[in-house]
Amino acid sequence: MSTDPGPAPDGEHAADGADPTFDPAATLRLIREQQDRARAATEPDGRLLYLAWGLSWGVGYLCLYLSAGATGKPPAWAFWVFAGAIVAAVAFTIVHTVTRTAGTRGVSARTGAMYGWSWMLGFLTFGVVIGGLGRAGASDEVIALASNAFACVVVGLLYLGGAAAFQDTRLFVLGVWILVVAAVATFAGLPLTYLVMAALGGGGFLVMGAIEQVLLVRRRARPAPGTVSRPGEAGGA
Amino acid sequence: MPDVDLDPVIHAPARLRVVATLAALSTGDELSFPTLQKLLAMTAGNLSTHLRKLEDAGYVRVTKTHEGRTPATYLALTPRGRAAFEDYTTALNTLLRGAGA
Repeated sequence: MSTDPGPAPDGEHAADGADPTFDPAATLRLIREQQDRARAATEPDGRLLYLAWGLSWGVGYLCLYLSAGATGKPPAWAFWVFAGAIVAAVAFTIVHTVTRTAGTRGVSARTGAMYGWSWMLGFLTFGVVIGGLGRAGASDEVIALASNAFACVVVGLLYLGGAAAFQDTRLFVLGVWILVVAAVATFAGLPLTYLVMAALGGGGFLVMGAIEQVLLVRRRARPAPGTVSRPGEAGGA
Repeated sequence: MPDVDLDPVIHAPARLRVVATLAALSTGDELSFPTLQKLLAMTAGNLSTHLRKLEDAGYVRVTKTHEGRTPATYLALTPRGRAAFEDYTTALNTLLRGAGA
């Protein structure tokens, strides 16, 4: 048997390491390249998702903070910019994830679908609760602080749950970080709350994206032999 | 080189790439035929031939189903196929260490 690419010879006789033309290092490299390609094509790219959310929070909340001025109340247009940034990140996340995972099914697909619906239901409830607070006579300031805090709590807890479901330790750390940001932002008080959300929240996503990038580069730089990765240790969120 | 037996079913490069691709999935996940075909850049006929051999060896599970009215085929490694792949990569690493000694 040879290691020539192309249509494989169909001989079923036993192959052994005695074949002088057989190169185990090249074969291990072939395996790794093929597995990297398979993962890149079937799993969402954590770096892109973190970048999208980092930019979305960064731009959206910075806009609220900078436009708030002395009164501490951002004008209506700033809230529209903020909403637009969030909607864009949500749309990107859905399209990217659905496109990448198309053609796969099974345990991961079902886990991912339930996780996706958790976000939907979390933020649906969030909207209803905020509406209820307004109806009960909460002031604009309380509404603004509660919106930020509840949104962060939903995001933080879902990251903790996602980390448990996908066995992703880095996602767990991010979840803890977002919960801390929720607390800090609420006590910072308006309009400083918005700056905290932009810098620590949005910045947190960007740092996570950078970490994913560094880890990926390191993994690719590792020599091929002995590093055939097993399922479950795939990087990414 | 040390005397190491390499599984002839996986040793053919085309089938090795099929198995490596399916082994990149988590246990319990399946890949559709067109997606696998795109990842391997093989013709449908060629891929089918190799999949049949892997199925005969008990390494790959082929599930035929319907998505709406369209027939769809999904592929996954069996536990035996995953074990064979791990044995194969272990054997390669053994060969490499033997060659370097």
